[in-house]
Amino acid sequence: MRRVAIGERSDWRATASANGFTFHTLEGDPYWDESHAYAFTLAEIEQDIEAPSAELHALCLDFVGRAVEDERILASLTIPESAWDVVRSSWRRRDPSLYGRLDFSYGGEGPAKLLEYNADTPTALYETGVFQWIWFEEMLAAGRLARGCDQFNAVHEQLVARLRDMPGDGTLALTSYADAPEDRGTVAYLEDCARQAGLATRFLDLADIGLDGDGRFVDRMRAPISRLFKLYPWEWAFADAFGRALATAPTRFIEPPWKAILSNKGLLPYLFAMAPNHPNLLPAYFEGDPGKAALGTAFVKKPLLSREGANILIVQDGAVLAHDHGPYGGEGHIRQALAPLPSFGGRRPLVGSWIVGDTPAGLCIRESAGPITTNAALFVPHYIEAEG
Amino acid sequence: MSSQAEKAPNPAPRGSKRSETVTLVLLAGAGAAAWGFARIDPSQREEDVLVYNGPEACISAAIRTSEDCRRDYATVRLAYPNAAPRYATASDCESHHGPGHCVTGDSVGASATGRFVPVLAGYIIGRTEEQDLDPQPIYDHRPSEAGPGYVGSGSGGYCTSWGGRVSTTSGGSSSFARVASSAVRPASFGGFGATGRGFSSHGGSAHGSGG
Repeated sequence: MRRVAIGERSDWRATASANGFTFHTLEGDPYWDESHAYAFTLAEIEQDIEAPSAELHALCLDFVGRAVEDERILASLTIPESAWDVVRSSWRRRDPSLYGRLDFSYGGEGPAKLLEYNADTPTALYETGVFQWIWFEEMLAAGRLARGCDQFNAVHEQLVARLRDMPGDGTLALTSYADAPEDRGTVAYLEDCARQAGLATRFLDLADIGLDGDGRFVDRMRAPISRLFKLYPWEWAFADAFGRALATAPTRFIEPPWKAILSNKGLLPYLFAMAPNHPNLLPAYFEGDPGKAALGTAFVKKPLLSREGANILIVQDGAVLAHDHGPYGGEGHIRQALAPLPSFGGRRPLVGSWIVGDTPAGLCIRESAGPITTNAALFVPHYIEAEG
Repeated sequence: MSSQAEKAPNPAPRGSKRSETVTLVLLAGAGAAAWGFARIDPSQREEDVLVYNGPEACISAAIRTSEDCRRDYATVRLAYPNAAPRYATASDCESHHGPGHCVTGDSVGASATGRFVPVLAGYIIGRTEEQDLDPQPIYDHRPSEAGPGYVGSGSGGYCTSWGGRVSTTSGGSSSFARVASSAVRPASFGGFGATGRGFSSHGGSAHGSGG
């Protein structure tokens, strides 16, 4: 794994514009950065990222099967009791999942270490599946990448295929905050994929989801919503005024409610307990577990529910190394052994490994200056070097 | 419309680890401005309803069974005291429903005490049983606010408890109306999103709720 100063395409902004990539710059700050790229060997991708991703995802599914039948686990994840049946029945029905992203600390040496599973509301999807792919094809066509190079990125094809294969009535409504550009962009992309999968789609702002007298979720025209993709975390939906209606509404959701079990940092201590010798798992404990002492004076403290690095505390040699402030943490914390992100000339990449359906489908890298990957991270493309 | 991406000169070779082709059908060449494309015009979802001032008119029209007419009217009578819109003053009520069409709340039910409510003008029932439409009480609407297509006899048509407008097609004894579903099917909105807004002070709204 190398960080290569590969240089920008001179016209990438026009290309972004032509392909609907509107959020490459967010609130004046750059987000997409192709001045350099990360290069991997095929073995690094297949043995160190792809295979462990498939294994860990399977382990996660095993855990969901256990968790839904054990109220102590659901309670420890702070899933509200009113939502247990919703979560449980979505798993018992095997409501299908569309996608998720495993985040790893990996720098080319030693096993990738799972930091968390963003299983419910991952973004960076369009950038991965489309714009990173276009970057690669254009760099290859321009001779700036050697013939025989490749990219781990079947995300787009897999999404369309998964959407096509999911059972349903041929419709899909999609929702997010309409005024959050990154979310809206991600949902617009998924709507594009769903159209290509032959589904009749419509976008609804979160505020445009209604609840009718029969307990069904409807749109403003009172048309029932049979299937809804929501880029809105389950723990928020459970806490909202309509949360109680989820138990009886016939709507099926993507991601399904059982994903609330995986998008929770409390997953990490359970995975570690299930497979303590797994090379890709870091020791992790609930904050209330005396076992946490085993981590000594170097660990990361994470809220059970947080996104984009918010409220994460890194302790090294007993001193606070980094601390992101934010609104999360009231629900409790876990402690995870410290696996510092590798440094490439002071830049720290976080490897995101996409799961579409149940299959590893591609990779994205978000790069930070500091040890915590926050929403200020830059999206940096990657490629696989030609063999030999 | 397809994306520039689709025009990549050589599709990825089979056996590679990337998509062979990447096509966009909605986003390509469009950008954010086109994201409203899938919003459906509310006028597109309509349905046919029957409007009667009471069960006798419904029964004599013989479109729905007399059993349905009576049952739905009983449902509406029961719902009316709690469903009728409330106004602080008689003039507020009359400005919406017309002079002489309002009564004091305590005359219809304890829950409306101290307020003013419109009198029950009749009810709406679905044209067919298969519509599965809950019957709704309706109230007279002040004529000056009648829709442009309205040709009723001196009335302003009707409205439902939440203000949905209903005008019969030719006034008089005609009971038929084609209305927006939203006018006759109640729903509450805004029940999702509030929890996340409480977190929006961190990280900026551009980042929303994804991660």
